Amino acid sequence: MTDNARPGPGRSSDDPDGGPPGRPPTFTSWLRSRSDGELTALLTARPDLAQPVPADIGALAHRATSRNAALRALERLDRFTLQVLESVVALGDDRLSEPVGAQPAEIARGLGLTPSGAAGEDPLDEALDTLLRLALVWPDHGRLRPVQVLRELLPHPAQLGPPARALLAALPHGTAKRLADDLVPHSTATTPVETVATALSDPDRVAALVSQVGAPARRLLDNLAWGPPNGTVSDARREVGLATASSPVEELIARSLLVATGDDTLTLPREVGLYLRAGVLFQDVSTAPPAFEGRQVPPEAVSRAAAGQAFTVLRAVEELLERWSQEPAAVLRNGGLGVRDLRRAAQAMDTDEDTAALYLEVLRAAGLIGTDNRVAGEWLPTREYDLWRERSPEHRWLRLALAWLDSDRVASLTGSRDAGGRVRNVLGPGLVRPAAPRARLDVLTEMAGAEPGLAPEAGSLAARLAWRRPRRQSPVHTELAGAAVTEAAALGLTGRGALAEHTRPLLTTEGAAAGADAAAEVLAAELPQPLDHILVQGDLTAVAPGPLVTGLARELALVADVESTGGATVYRFTEESVRRALDAGRGVSDITGLLERHSRTPLPQALRYLVSDVGRRHGRLRTGSAGSYLRCDEPALLAELVADRRATDLELLLLAPTVVVSGLNRAALTERLRQLGYHPVPESGDGTMRLSRPEIRRAEPEPAVPDEGGRAPELARAAVRALRAGDEAANVARIPVSLPEGGTAGSRANALMEVLADAADGGRRVWIGYTDTDGRQVSRIVEPARVDGGFLTAYDTTRDAVHRFAIHRVTGVAELGDGG
Amino acid sequence: MSCLIVQSDKTLLLEIDHELAPECRRSIAPFAELERAPEHVHTYRITPLALWNARAAGHDAEQVVDALIRFSKFPVPHSLLVDIAETMDRYGRLRLVGDPVHGLVLESSDRAVLEEVVRARKLKGMLGDRLAEDSVAVHPSERGNLKQALLKIGWPAEDLAGYVDGEAHQIDLADGDWELRGYQREAAESFHAGGSGVVVLPCGAGKTIVGAAAMAMTGATTLILVTNTVSVHQWKSELLRRTSLTEDEIGEYSGTRKEIRPVTIATYQVMAARRKGVYTHLELFDAKDWGLVVYDEVHLLPAPIFRMTADLQARRRLGLTATLVREDGREGDVFSLIGPKRYDAPWKDMENQGWIAPADCVEVRVDLSESERLAYATAEPEDRYRFCSSSETKTTVVREIVERHPQEQVLVIGSYIDQLDELGERLGAPVIKGETRNKERERLFDAFRSGELRTLVVSKVANFSIDLPEAGVAIQVSGSFGSRQEEAQRLGRVLRPKSDGRTARFYAVVARDTLDQEYAAHRQRFLAEQGYAYRIADAGDLLAGEEI
Repeated sequence: MTDNARPGPGRSSDDPDGGPPGRPPTFTSWLRSRSDGELTALLTARPDLAQPVPADIGALAHRATSRNAALRALERLDRFTLQVLESVVALGDDRLSEPVGAQPAEIARGLGLTPSGAAGEDPLDEALDTLLRLALVWPDHGRLRPVQVLRELLPHPAQLGPPARALLAALPHGTAKRLADDLVPHSTATTPVETVATALSDPDRVAALVSQVGAPARRLLDNLAWGPPNGTVSDARREVGLATASSPVEELIARSLLVATGDDTLTLPREVGLYLRAGVLFQDVSTAPPAFEGRQVPPEAVSRAAAGQAFTVLRAVEELLERWSQEPAAVLRNGGLGVRDLRRAAQAMDTDEDTAALYLEVLRAAGLIGTDNRVAGEWLPTREYDLWRERSPEHRWLRLALAWLDSDRVASLTGSRDAGGRVRNVLGPGLVRPAAPRARLDVLTEMAGAEPGLAPEAGSLAARLAWRRPRRQSPVHTELAGAAVTEAAALGLTGRGALAEHTRPLLTTEGAAAGADAAAEVLAAELPQPLDHILVQGDLTAVAPGPLVTGLARELALVADVESTGGATVYRFTEESVRRALDAGRGVSDITGLLERHSRTPLPQALRYLVSDVGRRHGRLRTGSAGSYLRCDEPALLAELVADRRATDLELLLLAPTVVVSGLNRAALTERLRQLGYHPVPESGDGTMRLSRPEIRRAEPEPAVPDEGGRAPELARAAVRALRAGDEAANVARIPVSLPEGGTAGSRANALMEVLADAADGGRRVWIGYTDTDGRQVSRIVEPARVDGGFLTAYDTTRDAVHRFAIHRVTGVAELGDGG
Repeated sequence: MSCLIVQSDKTLLLEIDHELAPECRRSIAPFAELERAPEHVHTYRITPLALWNARAAGHDAEQVVDALIRFSKFPVPHSLLVDIAETMDRYGRLRLVGDPVHGLVLESSDRAVLEEVVRARKLKGMLGDRLAEDSVAVHPSERGNLKQALLKIGWPAEDLAGYVDGEAHQIDLADGDWELRGYQREAAESFHAGGSGVVVLPCGAGKTIVGAAAMAMTGATTLILVTNTVSVHQWKSELLRRTSLTEDEIGEYSGTRKEIRPVTIATYQVMAARRKGVYTHLELFDAKDWGLVVYDEVHLLPAPIFRMTADLQARRRLGLTATLVREDGREGDVFSLIGPKRYDAPWKDMENQGWIAPADCVEVRVDLSESERLAYATAEPEDRYRFCSSSETKTTVVREIVERHPQEQVLVIGSYIDQLDELGERLGAPVIKGETRNKERERLFDAFRSGELRTLVVSKVANFSIDLPEAGVAIQVSGSFGSRQEEAQRLGRVLRPKSDGRTARFYAVVARDTLDQEYAAHRQRFLAEQGYAYRIADAGDLLAGEEI
């Protein structure tokens, strides 16, 4: 693309395709002349232009120069590129006198740059390249012109006023006429405005005019020279001639060195400003962002700290979701999570409430929590969560990190009040900030520019962001960027204030997901990998010296109580915990087997005794519901029970040496027996044990937010293909086939079908006008295959596919000219 | 990969089989309390008190954080490190110093903290006039109360106000066939350097000798507070043996005798005795210008003594104990009133060095007979524990165990007098219980010590501070429900080093499937956590003659 940056004098850039000579070059024709690769680059850099894919190049040009699209493009420019663009706008304004456009050399002079010899290293070259790639400027006969809309968007480029022609045109005719008569008595120009504007376009003339005014007037000019270019004065529109000028202001007005733009506003014309500045546009030009200032941390320490945080996040959210599996939190009426539930979640995750809010938002963005759709709804882990848990830790983390990067919700707004004074709840409404993902990407990308291990100071980072994205600076953006820094640290994307190595691959232009695999690889090396062994000790505890594989962790949590969590997990075996496992259907040998398999140390005798003791007692008694009976293999135990004075309310009757019936219903009986210290097991009708196990509940994931799209180059390439075909359809030479106007609708349709059928027979391509299902008028070049049932089946070159068109929607048909 | 894992509840798990473990333990011991020491992974806990203890011993937050980062296997959560630094930073922001003009002054370099403290409700009446922006006068009588209150509101004060020297009295360690062991000297020295504080040593490690060494270093009149009369006599004979003190210089202040001498040994009981709501023996504290106050078994210090101690802040105070764990949770009062921990050594380490006898703990499970089970099931709830723990079947088992150790001195310990009487009768051994007169007790102890008496049955009066050097076997038949501390003390009975280095045996006889077993499990937890893994044996096997 470099060849377009500075069109050489020998090349006419208006018709590179050899189009009709003499036709004035336009932005659209330049755009059409761009190569497919260049258009792909444009659509990749400005994805909003391809949504939806414009019908042809004209539509693309129209969209590219629309106010909103241009604003969005401006946001992406860094300060230097923006200065270059302002220079093009300032010098290349088509209201300045001929020739229209700014020459690169002029721009370089305006910016105070000396062009460097080596190609590709010149910052100005690079900036112009960027602007051409973004189609914000276009070349015209070796000069660069800004797209029209920038005139509005940058009304005072480089703090310069509008060109004299624009200012003078707004004056009453009489005023302009008098100025013209005063300044250029015998003008040949067509209008007074032209006369004055042409005069001012000559720096020598301006110099002469300036030299005529007195020192006070000169000081006034100097004050306005570096902008803002407006000054306030009473009665700005006063009638002053060269002869009648009595004050410094009037001297200037009379020489049109200042032009009235309001009842009390005078503006310095651009030409005059440029003269006063001696052609310099900016006093302060920095071609590179300010250097980073901050603390240097060993890069290993950064990665370790970040990975540690990543690990902490995983552990915390898993802890919470396991808890929510059984005791979900209630959904507020506004859809959020209550303050008390947030506090409880923070406790479960062992963190503060702000961080807890962040984790919850990320979990939702990642589709790991959702609500069941009941009236009194509850927040639950989704089915996705089960799959997620089975993945390796680095992939689990990546899912969260990617969700955060894409999410437009800002957790730090939790607890603040909206315009109506209502407190915003986490997971509730009012937390959406569409600019948030961009702010996060900006912050991280900027940090990636620092040396590995450099933790930039907040001020330094802000200064660089301000240089990188000057148009995005606002209190809201600053707040979002600040939140992004905090959140990135809390999620483990940064460590000790510097960007972690595993975050770097996520910051590619292709989008974060493209770098996920590389990131996973880096992170995996830092994260503690799940273990499958534990250490069992004589005080009836087991220590898992690291995270456990999911299956083992769940089994252990069933057999033993978790006593402390952190890098390791400490489990304690108690009678209750062992009974819980037995209740859930594990046998004594299952439990000891599990522990023997996974314990690195021999099982202590005390633990074997505990398990077998509980196992021995567990289920010795069995309760039944059929008439409520008790049976037991040991007559003595039943005798003991029947004799138990505390058991009189059970109304027990010894039925047989091993069977007792009770007058209570089974539930009450079981409950009472447990209170008495027995461990009965309920029986089902066929005499087998009934097991109880806590049920784990799940919700459906929320539908994923569609990808931002357009980022991926394939999409952009496909868009360009469609564009080209559309453009051809719109512009190809065609010979309209006349269709009967009026008459019956049927006759017109018949005529149409005849033409199309004929084309199908002859294998010719035809142009058709068509009203699509959205009611838009589109044109297509099609190769009809057959016509039947009111439909035309044809190969559509725009879409590169066979398509069926309803005949009644075809608005016109044309044979293609030779070019087609 | 290193050996330490930091948990989110601020416990530290130390894998002791790791090669770096000894080094790591040395680094973390100053600021983390050893909570459990089972065979593979030791648990330390970082508490504010432990951190302040570390600060008092001259460690700073940087060292603590460094140790954690250096030895941690996984990255340490940043929030935890910040929390540690902040907690440690709280100690020493406030200092109690002596002022030549105003007497006692509370000063701080941090004005905000001083403001907070001055406004604190809990401190009303303890502080005097504001002397300057950064200092406020303190009523000398409130020195102890103020420290207690400041600890409660989280701003422990560093007490730099110094001590009165007290009435000088020359005390030297006696030469003889013994010498101060290394750790005893270290303990006494680090106490002396700090001026007041607590020394934690297991039973049998010679806490009395540490006391004697501290007295010799202080060289002043000393008041020693102990748990009971037997203990008074023990201290007395030990001091006579280990120091230059003579019989005339040591006074006994107990229920029966009220002597006040340069070194006076008093019981907690007598100090806490009240008549018509007034402590009648308070004057003992003022009877002499004491230069040192020694508190034996500081974890048993009764509440009134704490209150009295609050008024003794200008005197040097030494606390001696086997454990800082207090069943009543008043560890904070020990910290603020007696002083920070000055020395600590894990039991198992001492054992490995041969300073205390290795112990073999066996739980013997007894099956109740069917009739006993029936009776147990029908017993009133309040009698159930007594019933199962003093069951008939146990007696047979105890007899069998005693017979298995014909060459050893055997101590049978229990809680229920009926049971003990019966055991005494069946074993042909004398019983020492609450009603046994002191004279008779000492006669029996002497006989036991000399080997004349081989088996002795004792109630819980023997829990504390009696020195039975040659008790090689202890059999516990019943305990006070689930007291962890009691179990440790009882094990301590047999941990004194034996002349021939034999392994001590500790039997707990427990009725299976009853409350007894539940309580036993709770008691034993403490010892299991100290690394004494219990073996479990079946009484049936034992009676059948199987080796255990």
